[in-house]
Amino acid sequence: MKKYEEDLNFRGEEYVCEWTPWSPQDIRRKKGVLESARMMLNSALTAPLAGGVPSTEAHIVYGQEELETIARKIEEIAHRKKAWKEPFLYEAVMIRDSDVVLFIGNTRCHETPLDAGCGLCGGGLDCSYFYERKTHRYGLVDTTDRRKENQIDGPLCTARVSDLGYAVGSALWTAHTLMVDARPFASLGMAGMELGYCRNSGMVVGVPVAAKAKNPYVDVNVDYHLINMDKVLDNTRKIYQTARIIRGFDYRKWIPKPAKTEEEGE
Amino acid sequence: MGHLTGKAFCQEHVLEVAKNIALAVHKAPQITGKTEIEVEIIWGEDLEPIIEVMGPIAQVMQYVRWDYETLKNTYERGENPVVVAIGAKTTRSNLAWDCGACGFGTCREFNAYAKETRGGGQLGGPCCNWKTLDFSMACDWACASAWQYRIDNRIMGSVGFGLTALGFLPDMDVKLGLALGPPRDLVYYSREEMHKTMSYEEEKQAMINSIPTNFAAFVGGGTPMYKTKDDWWAPPKFMGMAYSPEVMEVMQQVLFEQVPEIVVKYADKIEARYKDRK
Repeated sequence: MKKYEEDLNFRGEEYVCEWTPWSPQDIRRKKGVLESARMMLNSALTAPLAGGVPSTEAHIVYGQEELETIARKIEEIAHRKKAWKEPFLYEAVMIRDSDVVLFIGNTRCHETPLDAGCGLCGGGLDCSYFYERKTHRYGLVDTTDRRKENQIDGPLCTARVSDLGYAVGSALWTAHTLMVDARPFASLGMAGMELGYCRNSGMVVGVPVAAKAKNPYVDVNVDYHLINMDKVLDNTRKIYQTARIIRGFDYRKWIPKPAKTEEEGE
Repeated sequence: MGHLTGKAFCQEHVLEVAKNIALAVHKAPQITGKTEIEVEIIWGEDLEPIIEVMGPIAQVMQYVRWDYETLKNTYERGENPVVVAIGAKTTRSNLAWDCGACGFGTCREFNAYAKETRGGGQLGGPCCNWKTLDFSMACDWACASAWQYRIDNRIMGSVGFGLTALGFLPDMDVKLGLALGPPRDLVYYSREEMHKTMSYEEEKQAMINSIPTNFAAFVGGGTPMYKTKDDWWAPPKFMGMAYSPEVMEVMQQVLFEQVPEIVVKYADKIEARYKDRK
C-alpha cells in the first residue's frame, strides 16, 4: 500500500547544469549520460557478428576517482611508444573531461577464433597463422600463460577483431542518435585491459561518453595535456589570488574611485 | 503533384538510400584516423557478375549458398537488390604503434611479412587489427544506417569475396558487401528463398557433417561411433580425422577453374572503369 502511495506521488523537479563540476546538478546530468551509455551497450550487443557467435563483454565505469585512475594509466602507457606519446596524453585529458567510460572487449579473438580460414590474420585455410603462434592443444588455446611481450598479446583472430569493430560501431551509432558525444580510443582500451576491465578479452576498445556544451573529443589545442580547461581554471585560481595579495585596502573606509571628469567635477 | 502507385518506386528508391548509406560509411568514426576506406554501389546488370561468381562457391559453402540464392532470386524476379561495396586498406601499418596485436613485435616486421604473404583464405589479409577495427566500424555504420532507413540488409563476406575476385575496389585490401532491399521484411534473415530446397534428411546430415557434436557419437575407445543413424541394424559409422582428396579437389576446381572462368568474362570491363582513377 505504501508503494502505491509513493507511485501516486509522481511529482518533482530536477535542476541540471554542467557548472560547477561534480555538483548535484552536474551529477544529475552525468546520470543521463550513464543511461545513454547503457543504451550504447545494448546496441553493441545487437551488432552483427561473424557466425552470430556471442563474444562481446563490456564495462561501464564512472566516478571521479575511477576516471582519474584510468587517465593516469593512459599517461603511463603513453610513454611506451613514441607514436603514442602525444595522442595518448591528449586522450587522458579527454577521459578526465568525460562523464562515463564504456569498455567493449571481444572474449574470443585471442582464444576461440572463428576457425573459418578467412585469411584476414594472414593465415592459410587452416588458420595456421594464428595457431602456430599460440600455445595450444586439442585446438584449445592455452591462455593461462599470462605473461606477454607486447602491449597486446597477438596474434588475434582478425575476424573476431572485426566483430569487436561492429560492436563498437553500433555503440557509437547509438551515441550519435542520442546526441551524446563519444569517440573510440585505443589508448583507453589498453588502459582498461591493464586495469582489469573486460579481462576475458584479447582486445578492448574504450569509448568515453559525455554530454557537455563542448564535445571533449574534438577541437583540441596543441600541448593539450598542458593547456586544457582544468589547467586554465587552476591557473586562474593561482594568478587571481596572487593579484589580490599584492594590493589591498580597507573597503569599509576607502575604495579607489575613477577620477571625475570635468563635467562631473565641481 | 503526383501519384505514385505500385512497388516499383520503392524498389528504385533503394538506390537513393544506398547513397545515404555510403555517406554514413565515410562518416563512421575511426580509432586510428588513418584507415583509407572506399565505397561503391552496384545494382542492376552490374550485379550479375557478382552473383555469377558466387555460384560455384555456393556449391561448396553453405553460407555462401544462402546469400547466393537470395541475391540471385530477388534479382531475377526484378526486385532490384542493391549492393553497397565497402573496402579498406588494412594490410600495411603506418601507425608505428608496435602493439603486437598482429603477432609481430613491430609494425615494421608486420609490414615485411604482409608484403611477401597474402592471406590464404577468402577475404585477404594479413591485417593490422586497429585498421580492421576502423573498417569494421564503417561496415557497422552501413548496417546501422540501413536499419535506420528500414531496409532489410545483411553484410556479406560472400559478396566481399566476389568483389575481390572480380577486381572491384582495386585499391582496397579487404572488402565486404552490404546487400540491400528489396523493400520488405525478412529478406536476408529466416531466408524464405531457401524454403523447400532441402529435405529433413539432408538438413539433419548437414548439421551432423558441419558441426561435429559430442552428442552425435558414443564415447569410444578412440573411435567414436555415430549413434544418430536411423538404420541401427546397418554397419556402424565412425567419426575420424582424414585428409580428403575429394574435398580438396572440389575446392581446387571451384577456386582455380570455375571462379577464374567467370572472372575472365568480366575482368576487363570492370578494370576499365578504374582506369582514370588517381
